[in-house]
Amino acid sequence: MKDCTPGRIGNEAMNSIAYIIIQLIVTLLAAPLVGGLIKKVKALTQKRKGAPVLQMYFDLYKLLQKTSVVSEVSSWIYKAAPYIVFATALAGALLVPVSTKIVPVLIPGDFIMLVSILALGRFFMMAAALDTASTFGGMGSSREAMISSLIEPSILVALFTVGLLSGSTSLPRMMQTVQVTGFPLAHPVYMMVGLALLIIIIAETSRIPVDDPSTHLELTMVHEAMILEYSGRHLALLEYGAAVKQLVFITLFVNLFIPHDQLIPFMGFGAVILSLLLYLLKVVLMAVVIALIEVNTVKFKLFSIPNLAALSFILAFLGILQFFILGGYHV
Amino acid sequence: MELLLHHLYLVSIFGYLLGAVISLGYLFAKKQNTGHIIVNALCIAASAAASAASIGKIFSGVEILNIFSLQSTIPFITLEIRVDNLSAFFVLALSVLVFCVSIYSIGYISHYNGKRNIGLFNFLYVMFIISMFFVLTSANAVFFYISWEAMSLLSYFLVVFESEKEENQKAGTVYIVMTHLATALLFIGFMIVYHYTHSFDLMAAHNGTVIPEITRNIAFILFLVGFGTKAGVIPLHIWLPYAHPAAPSNVSALMSGIMIKTAIYGLIRFVLCYLGVQDTWWGIVILVLGMLSAVLGVAYALMEHNIKRLLAFHSVENIGIILIGLGVSYIAFAQNHLLVGGLALTAALLHTFNHTLFKGGLFLGAGAIQYAVHTKDIEKLGGLLKKMPVTGFMVLCFSLAISAIVPFNGFISEWLTYQSLFANILPGQFGLNFFSAVAVAALALTGALAAACFVKLFGISFLGLPRSEEAANAQEVPKTMNIGMGILALICLGIGLFPLTILKLLDPVVGSLGGGSVFSQLQGGFMLAYYPLTVSPGSISPAALVLALAGIILLALLVIRIVGGEYIERKYGTWDCGFEALNARMQYSATGFSKPIKIVFRILFRPTRKITTGGDSFYYPESIEYATTVASIFEDYLYHPVIKRLQKFSQRTKYKIQTGSIHNYLIYLFAAVLLLMLYNRLA
Repeated sequence: MKDCTPGRIGNEAMNSIAYIIIQLIVTLLAAPLVGGLIKKVKALTQKRKGAPVLQMYFDLYKLLQKTSVVSEVSSWIYKAAPYIVFATALAGALLVPVSTKIVPVLIPGDFIMLVSILALGRFFMMAAALDTASTFGGMGSSREAMISSLIEPSILVALFTVGLLSGSTSLPRMMQTVQVTGFPLAHPVYMMVGLALLIIIIAETSRIPVDDPSTHLELTMVHEAMILEYSGRHLALLEYGAAVKQLVFITLFVNLFIPHDQLIPFMGFGAVILSLLLYLLKVVLMAVVIALIEVNTVKFKLFSIPNLAALSFILAFLGILQFFILGGYHV
Repeated sequence: MELLLHHLYLVSIFGYLLGAVISLGYLFAKKQNTGHIIVNALCIAASAAASAASIGKIFSGVEILNIFSLQSTIPFITLEIRVDNLSAFFVLALSVLVFCVSIYSIGYISHYNGKRNIGLFNFLYVMFIISMFFVLTSANAVFFYISWEAMSLLSYFLVVFESEKEENQKAGTVYIVMTHLATALLFIGFMIVYHYTHSFDLMAAHNGTVIPEITRNIAFILFLVGFGTKAGVIPLHIWLPYAHPAAPSNVSALMSGIMIKTAIYGLIRFVLCYLGVQDTWWGIVILVLGMLSAVLGVAYALMEHNIKRLLAFHSVENIGIILIGLGVSYIAFAQNHLLVGGLALTAALLHTFNHTLFKGGLFLGAGAIQYAVHTKDIEKLGGLLKKMPVTGFMVLCFSLAISAIVPFNGFISEWLTYQSLFANILPGQFGLNFFSAVAVAALALTGALAAACFVKLFGISFLGLPRSEEAANAQEVPKTMNIGMGILALICLGIGLFPLTILKLLDPVVGSLGGGSVFSQLQGGFMLAYYPLTVSPGSISPAALVLALAGIILLALLVIRIVGGEYIERKYGTWDCGFEALNARMQYSATGFSKPIKIVFRILFRPTRKITTGGDSFYYPESIEYATTVASIFEDYLYHPVIKRLQKFSQRTKYKIQTGSIHNYLIYLFAAVLLLMLYNRLA
């Protein structure tokens, strides 16, 4: 297993530059696709035709060219927030490898930092929602504060447990460990944590049953309420940021629990391409799973969400207890 | 080198003393401004000297630096000032904060111009600083005790400085009672240790090997309760939310920033060095108390709308985080796992230092708000960012720092705490894994709730529309106040971006306390990444992250410029749902913001609400009054019943013992003398 040592100029530096570029391109291109896929699957289950899978690209392109309407009340926080939200989501994506065939070296960070980076984006989004003095913004911000503070402990405990299994808090190392464990979800520790993480993904990406991304009804919305006042390029950045964040969580799940790089016996350029294709396949599968979950559930009322968060926390905590009893794979 | 450091410390002490004398000098003068500036300048110079000396001391490799020693004719009382690495580190924290607060004070005091005696204030202020300095550097338990008592009394006078307000009187009373109960316990603790070591010298305890186990445990509990009260550990925290809001803001910054940390110093000095950590359960007790304080502290903070009470509860939270680190390190030390112990101790000490910086800064920010708007109530603020852009920016920085968000310093110390919990579980041999796992969850919940709380604090007070006339007319505060806050914010960012610098400083401190070197596990590579590989392989590089963020933002700006063309902006009002005009009452309030969390944790808060509608018609009420309260569990269920019982007991016994007859009192005296003589004879 390769250590993530600080970059030495030469081959490794080249590798990590290549990694950053590949990671950025894959994330930026795949992120809007996931939302489109989910919508498409939902439409198909409802016997509708639905919008094209690429709809979000068209939306973003159109939004970028529109005039931005900015509230008179707001301060610089309002205009800075979209950039910070987008940048933090993308920087978070740099910490979660899409393929373990190439290892990041230049930007060291672990899952604790990932949570903190996303918290930076969320802090600004919640603040910006309060900045316009709109009731909707405040409402979304307040609800987001509640949901995020309930979900964050289970994210950290879940990832902490996976970290313990591989003896490291660094995400690339955690993903590399899983490569040699066969099918991780068969292991009781991974199974518990995996289920916990599935709930986390739904909550963090504003999906049904926690939040409904497709309505603008004040009773239900959380994320949409926070960005209600935004328009033009600011809105585009926020939407794109949310899509990237969604992909980050999906990547986390698929690469930690459904590893694929052990299927590729060789190294080099071909291996990277093959690995990325397999990764995209997993993302598509995940999108379908999320869509099916959405179709088969209803939006919870706000004060049922703590139960869901508690469920995910208990699963994650059971995972850590099982780690104490069973231990991990000895690799 | 040694001589230079020695003189620097002396210069610092005499600088403070001179400041105290000068402030006494203009006590009765009409014009107090010049004196005020001179005293603060002296404080700034003295604290700069002490900071330089402390940094020099830690890097010089000199183990112990004797500053001065004054034998007195009174038995046991020796004025002895001695600086070792631990003292030097805490003196550094004190000096950095005093440096910034004193700059801030120059502008802030015009708040009190003509209304208060500034000479008196400055005398108390400087003496308070000296007493803390002596607490941190005294070499002997009696002198420590005297300085500790002086620190408590001087801070009491500062708490009741605005004495005409009834709430301040109550705050002072609660504070003085709690602090004296604690001091009494400390006194018993010192006596117990003296009984076995026959010396009050802090070096004489030899890690508690001469003390029998049971007595050592009793001494530990005495020290824990005694120092825990000063630190504000739940359930001994009740004085904090009263005392900190009552004091003037520059004093609250000192009290919350450094005074409560002297208790952490005490816990390290008297438990780790004096008694020696032999039992694992000591660490577990501290860890559990830490978790309780962290989670409950931040939960109570969320319900507060008085900005200074809110910050006081956050001190409880942060003390909890420090104690989590300290607890893990004591567990590891007891198990003789020096490297994990060193890592956890580094985390605790770094968080102590960080909290000094950002909490000091936040109280200064609260003071600036009070200076400009004359209120501590968040519900009356709003829209201040446009009126006070610099203050707002600083408060934003401190808020991010305290919420453990990158790239500020709070994240670094919490990251180290997570790593020490991780390293504590990893070997899998301690059998204490369960506590560490719960601590991870507690820490995560604390971090998330803290972020929510500071979004509330910053969002409601600085963003949106002003909620009162005063907030609408607020003006930026004097420059010196902003400079004081600015230096603190810069240090917060500096530590956050380049953690290795401060970790290098911490290494000799932890080393001299018996911890394994964490710094030798660091591999400084490209852009100061942090790699404690043998402890637990994880690594972060905040500097690289900030570069990445900046790069992404620049790239995004470029791409948007190319795709979307020129940025065109149209100013328009916020959508007001079809009403005629948006006003401040339509936006979310702090109460509304924290209400979902209040409902989720209602078992903790036991909220009540009362709605009274005025007018005849049910559908068109003339007025609606909404009142909501949150129960203070510890006061209602722990303190009040105890106090009630105690009062009843005192009432009943009063007439039996204190009869008013002189004959009875003579009998008491006789009996006491007789007993003492008997004891002397037998012992």
